[in-house]
Formats: sequence, C-alpha cells, structure tokens
Amino acid sequence: MALLEVRNLCIAVGSGGALLPVVEDVSFTVEAGRTLGIVGESGCGKSLTSLAIMGLLEGSQVRITGGEIRFAGRELTKLPAAERRAIMGDQMAMIFQEPMTSLNPVYRIGDQIVEVLRQHRSMSRRDALVRAAELLALVRIPGPAERLKSYPHQLSGGMRQRVMIAMAIACDPSLLIADEPTTALDVTVQAQILDLLADLQARTGMAVVLISHDLGVIAETCQTIAVMYRGRIVESASAAGLFAAPRHPYTSGLMASIPDADADCETLPAIAGRVPRIDERIGGCAFHPRCPRAASRCAIEPPATATYPEDHVVLCHFPEEAAP
Amino acid sequence: MNTLALFNPFSGRRLAFLGLVWLGFILICALAAPLLAPFDPLAIAPVDRLSEPGGSYWFGTDNFGRDTLSRCIYGARMALIIGLGTVAVSLTAGSLIGMLSAYFTRLGHVLMRVIDVLMAFPALLLALVLMTLLERSVANTIIVIGIVYTTTTARILFGMTLKLKNEVFVEAAVCSGAGHCSVLFRHILPNLISPLLVQASFIFAFAQLQAAALDFLGLGLPPEIPSWGNMLSESRIYVTRAPWLLIFPGILIIFSVFSMNLVGDALRDSIDPRFKDDIAGV
Amino acid sequence: MTAPLLAVRNLKTHFRAGRSWPFGPRAATLKAVDGVSFEIQAGEVLGLVGESGCGKSTVGRTLTRLEPSTSGEALLEGQDILQLSQAAFRPLRGQIQMIFQDPFASLNPRLTIEQTLAEPLRIHRLATTAKEARARIAEILTLVGLDPKVMTRHPHQFSGGQRQRIAIARVMILSPRLVIADEPVSALDVSIQAQVLNLIKEIQRKSSVAMLFISHDLGVVRHISDRVAVMYLGRIVETGPKAEVFARPSHPYTRLLLESTPRPDPARAGRRAKALGEPASAAAPPPGCSFHPRCPFATERCRIEAPAYAALSDNHGSACHNIAALPGKQANE
Repeated sequence: MALLEVRNLCIAVGSGGALLPVVEDVSFTVEAGRTLGIVGESGCGKSLTSLAIMGLLEGSQVRITGGEIRFAGRELTKLPAAERRAIMGDQMAMIFQEPMTSLNPVYRIGDQIVEVLRQHRSMSRRDALVRAAELLALVRIPGPAERLKSYPHQLSGGMRQRVMIAMAIACDPSLLIADEPTTALDVTVQAQILDLLADLQARTGMAVVLISHDLGVIAETCQTIAVMYRGRIVESASAAGLFAAPRHPYTSGLMASIPDADADCETLPAIAGRVPRIDERIGGCAFHPRCPRAASRCAIEPPATATYPEDHVVLCHFPEEAAP
Repeated sequence: MNTLALFNPFSGRRLAFLGLVWLGFILICALAAPLLAPFDPLAIAPVDRLSEPGGSYWFGTDNFGRDTLSRCIYGARMALIIGLGTVAVSLTAGSLIGMLSAYFTRLGHVLMRVIDVLMAFPALLLALVLMTLLERSVANTIIVIGIVYTTTTARILFGMTLKLKNEVFVEAAVCSGAGHCSVLFRHILPNLISPLLVQASFIFAFAQLQAAALDFLGLGLPPEIPSWGNMLSESRIYVTRAPWLLIFPGILIIFSVFSMNLVGDALRDSIDPRFKDDIAGV
Repeated sequence: MTAPLLAVRNLKTHFRAGRSWPFGPRAATLKAVDGVSFEIQAGEVLGLVGESGCGKSTVGRTLTRLEPSTSGEALLEGQDILQLSQAAFRPLRGQIQMIFQDPFASLNPRLTIEQTLAEPLRIHRLATTAKEARARIAEILTLVGLDPKVMTRHPHQFSGGQRQRIAIARVMILSPRLVIADEPVSALDVSIQAQVLNLIKEIQRKSSVAMLFISHDLGVVRHISDRVAVMYLGRIVETGPKAEVFARPSHPYTRLLLESTPRPDPARAGRRAKALGEPASAAAPPPGCSFHPRCPFATERCRIEAPAYAALSDNHGSACHNIAALPGKQANE
C-alpha cells in the first residue's frame, strides 16, 4: 500500500459568494522512500494541493470540496483536528520557500527546534537540546552546538533552509513535503540543499513530495513527476519516461521554453498566450487556448485520461505519440 | 470608479456605517442650521433663563435664556468649519513638509528636526502657547490647531514618501528622465491620496477635541460664537442647576468624534496595506 | 576594433553599512561593486551573471545613476556619465534605459498605460502633439506585441508578462543606445519567460541597441548574450564571448555555476557538483581571492593574494591564480 494516496482531490476558493475550483480531480500516490515531483506555473494549484495534504487549509477562504487523502491507511480529510495536528510535524512535515519568514525572528533556533521536539515527543529540555544539535549536524551545519544559540537573522538563506529541514525531520517523518524549497536560494546553494534532501531520504527512507516550478530541479530530484496546469494533473509519468517522451503539449511546451545552458538557439519555442487567472472559466480542456494542437473538440469537451505503458498518464484529446 | 466603491469600506461594518449616518446628520444640521434651528442662537430671553428641557425649549435654555437646541445646531456649523479648516491647513503644510523632507534628504534633516522639536510639546500645550500670542478668532483657532496636526501629518507623510521614493516605478520614472516636480507630484503624490484621506478623517476628529478644549479654557473661539466647546465652557458654573447645558453639547462632541474615528478606521482598513502601519493614530 | 559604446573602468560602489546598535559604531563599508571594468560595443549584448549579493544589480543601478558611484569611470561614447550632475545627466537618460525585474512594481498603479508611455516622450520632447504621441505609443505597443487599444487601461488589468512588455515599450519608445535589463524575466512564469526573452532578443536584433543583461540564470544569459561576464563578490571573475565561456569556463566559479545549474535531464540526478561551503558576504569578503574558501583548487597563494585579471585569448580572460592548473574540461560535457 502506498504511504500517501490522494484520490480525486478538489479544492475551491470562496470569492464573492461563489466557489471557484482551483484544484480539480487530482490523484497521485507516493511510496515510502520515493520522491514525487509536482511541477507547474503560478496558480496551477500545486501549492494548494500540498497545503491540503498538510491540513493547512482549515479556516481560510480555501476548502477541500471533494476527494480523499489517505496517509498510512488513514483518511485525513475526515480526521478530527486534534488528531491531524498530532500527525502534522510528526509523521508528515513540510518545508516552505521562504526560510526567512518561516522561522520566528525573536527565538533562538535551538529553542525553535526544541519546541517542535517537545510537542511530539515526551522529552526533557536537556535531551531535546542534545537532539537538536544532532539534527543540525545531520543537515551539515558547521558548529551545531554553537549554532543552537543563533537567531535566524544571523544565518544566511541557505543555513536557514537547513534549519527548516532540521525542524521538519526532527520527528523522523515518513513524509516530507517541500514546497519550492530552493527557489529563494542561489544555484550553488540550491545544489547543496537538494543533495542534502536526497541524502536524508536515502538515510531515513522517508517519502518526499517536491513542489517546484523548475523542471530542472524536478528532473534531477524526482522519480515520478506530475505536471499540473490550471488545477489539474495533465500528465504524470516516471521522470525518465516524461523527459524522454512528453505526451501532453503543455509538458513538451514547458520543456522547450527553458533556455538551455548547454546549447544555443535563435528563438525559444515559447507557449503562446498567458497563464490563466483562477477566476477565468475555460470550457473543455483548460489548455486549449494556448495549445498548438488544439482542435474544435478541445474547446467543448474536457479530455479524458489516456494511459500508456509504465504508468504514463496524459489528460489530452490528442496526446503526442512517443518517438519510435 | 463608481460611487458605490466609496461605500465599500463600510459594507459589513455596521458600527462604522452608523458613524457615517451620524456624520451625515451633523452635516445636514450644519448646512441647514437656519432652517432647522427653532430660535436665533444668539437671541436672549431673560424670562426663560435656565429653563429645563421641555415645552418650546426641547434642550432647555442657558443663563441668558438662549435656546440650547438652536445653539447645538449652529455649533455643528462651527464644528464643520473648524474640522475642514484644520484638515486643509495641516494636510497642505504637513504633506509639503513631509514629502519634500523625504525627497530632498538634506532639507529633510533640517525640516524634520524642527518638526521633532514642535512634537516635543504636548499638543494642547503647543496650542495654548500659540493661542496666547494670537487674538481669539475662528481663523486663528484653525491655524493653531492646524499647526499642531501639521507636525504629525509631516511625520507620517515623511515615512510614506520614503517608502514610495524607493518603489521601482518611481525609479523607473527617474530613469525616464523625469524631474523632481514630476516625480513628486505625478508619481508619488497620487499614491498618497488614499492614506491622506484617512489621515484627514482622524485630524477632523481630533480637531474637534482640540477646539473644544481651547474653547473650554477660554482661548479658542470668541465667546459669542455658539460652538460646542464654548457651550461647555459657559455651562460649567451651572452644572448642578442646569446639567442639560453640559449634557447636550457633551454628547454631540463625543458622538461626533467617535463616529469620525469609526469612519477613519474603516477607511484605513480598506487602503493599501503598505501604509497601514504609518497611520497608527494622530 | 572601434571605440566601445560604453567603457566601464574600475567602477566601485560602496555602501555605508548601518549600525548594529542605535549608538554603536558603523559596520565596515559594504563593497557591493569593487573594481569592475568592462566594455560594451554598439549593438552588443553583454550578459552579467552571478549569484544574489554579488553586486551585478548594483552595477546596473550605478550606471543609471540610481546609486552614487564611489570611484571609477563609465564612458558613454567617451563622456564620463558618473561625473555629470544629476541635472546634466537627465537629458542623457534617454540613451541609457533600464528594465526592472518586478513588472508588478515598475509601473505606476495610478497612471494609464498611455500616460506612462507618454511621459518619456514628453520629457525628451520626442512628440510635439498629443496626436503624434498617441501614434508613437500605438506603434511601440504593437512592437511589443500588445493591442494599441489597451493604452487606456491601468497596470492592474494586465498579467505579469504583459506588464513586462509595457515596461519594455517604455524603454524602447526613447530609442536608447544602451538598455540595462536587470533580471527582466526572473519574476515571470517559465512559459511567459520564453515569450518575453524572445521579444527582448527580437527587439534587440531589430534596433541593434546595446544591452547589459543582468541575470542569475545561465540558460537565460546564454540565450540572449553575445558576451558574458561572471561576477563574484563585487568583481568580475571571468569575461569572454558566450561560446568560449560556456564551452571553456576558465574560472572555478564559472564552472561551479555551470555545474550547479539544474538541467531538465533525469540522467543527471546525483551527478550534481559539490559546492564547498557558503557564499561569503560582500560585507566581509575573504582575504586574497574572495572565492578561495569555496574553491576546490585553492592554494596557499589564493588565501593571501588577490588574483589579477589575465587574458587567455583576445577577449576571453579570468581572474584566477591557477588557470593553468585547472582540469581541461568541465564535468557536464
């Protein structure tokens, strides 16, 4: 059985009395020890999906309108808030894009890690501090014992993200959700952080859901990949399968629009049009106004999924055939 | 923008809306005072002096037999004049000083230190000192209270202009070759309009209190002018015999200031979040 | 070779750092740009690449006089623009234009697109009548791929990509000689980034305006530039023609950047370069070569002596003591 199983998840945003669907019919599974990458542009619903899994949508304008989220055999959407909180931060943890704002600036980082530990484990403060130092060593922060006494502003962006990772893995979660964990960091630091995450995963066997807009980061980190567009997963496949033969025109368009650091070209084959706003209603396939392969059918009829070998799933009327 | 958008800050805020209604009522009283007032506010009727509320004198009369209701209605007129005048003086002077100080750093060092010194005086004390140097008149009262709130307005505008000065669109205008005037009045000022509006509503409210205080101390408007503050001042020796003389203008001042603050809060919550912290209060 | 359009020599921009305590001493000066020299020929695109805090944006902001320079010169067709007073520089602003990173912040929310675009025309007296101005605005909007009818709208009615097109229109309406583009596509979505990059490249080719293109993204820089300069902690560590720098990076930092850049290729997983340590801060640059704490090839000399910039070929050069000792090829080739 998969560790995390999301089935037909639907999320809507309340806006002026109406409910706008922002995530529609999203399904995926993540096995222990594996990494799923969710990639998409702004407003595609990738971050909301991750927040829904963590149960962080409660009390906001956004709510889950359908589907289920099964984690280690338990249906999370029906769980009482107290039980969910017990799982959060313990069996599943999350790291965010902004390591600057996710740490409380007025507390030492040691105290912040200790707080997480003592929330979920019955530990003395002294033991928790020892464990906190171990965690900082684990995320390769030099001089961990001294660093416990630092305040967040005394650390660089990369170091703060390491602290966030240390806090996230403090209770040995079986699932780590990383929402754009390296977007705010420089490429050299990004490489270090991604390496660190891979190492920790190999060591602990946790599952990782990595959310990013960067196909490069996703390609180098994940085993399976889900591409989201306008609230739906339009294509999912193994990393190798997806990059070898993308079948959804959005996926191939996205891949082609990245300027290559290893080759020159005169004009980038860009996707036409613009990223739709969430309050726009698009009939049929949401991608059809921008799609080079769109036919009249695409504007009317929502596409059904087509499944190819090796769990390659595409949501398109006219998927591209794999090159022979 | 349609006219309904103006009321957006008040949708879902019943108290603020009631405040708006009350202010509308005061405004009508002020504008239509001659029509609404049953008596001449200055007409003396020694026979009826210190009449209790009731009969033809709904709010009673004072020690000269002048009708309290009529004086209250004409008082609304004074409140409006004082409020608008103070807002005009302090916003004009305050925004010029604040904007120029933030934009021209060296000038700012001098001007803002002057403002700091003025702000070191308690507001009422500053007004008292200035008022003792001047004659009691409507114009002087407005100028004095205006100066008091010029200091706070300048401080607030200084902070907001500093922020806007570093906005990318302002830098883009500089890169286009825009001169100082164009940057200040075409790019910075229009973005300050909505916070200025909020600031105006608070100054309007505080000006009422300040004016009432000056009147009460006998340093504000000339005593013959029917203002709420003057009415309070005159009534204090009769407070045990004729409490209505204190109660009615008192209630008017409290309700009006409270309403203006509610309206100001509603406006503040609807403006650009960048400036919310700046307008913490006057 | 003809005289360059812009010659920057030993440019330094230092900032006075704040105090750590209300009455404490000022911290040392922050040397954001510390001795940068480069040239841009007419019609050429120079890509300036580096990580955050390396001073690449400050170079652009100093050249547009948004920040005062500390020393050095910047000769625009022989005239030192850093020595001019702001008032004397203002007429020249029409020739040096800047595109900013954040399209949501760079347009005045209170002005219509027409007002925004008419302003530079008015300032530089490029249109005498309102009709003439409107015709020019319609023309430039068409050039950047927008319908001229949109000129009556306000910025909030546009998407990020459209706003960046408007920002490009505002710059190009003056027919500048040099455009400084400070991360013009990094705030945009990938699919929109490609459109805007194509637009910038097309306009640059058509108008043959010279460009200083500042970016942290090697792929973007490679796509747009003719020559590339790599910056680290306030200095240029390598410059050269694009093809040379990408094929034969001659500074360890350039190699690290190239190897750290993620590629959409799952086969590369796990083969990422191992960067050493943390990027140093410009407030406290290491002695000697400022890259030495992170450099796998660092020697004793690197810790003491700052390397001078040395030419490898006609226009390719780098500042490294150990150019000769570097392995010949980079990992990802």
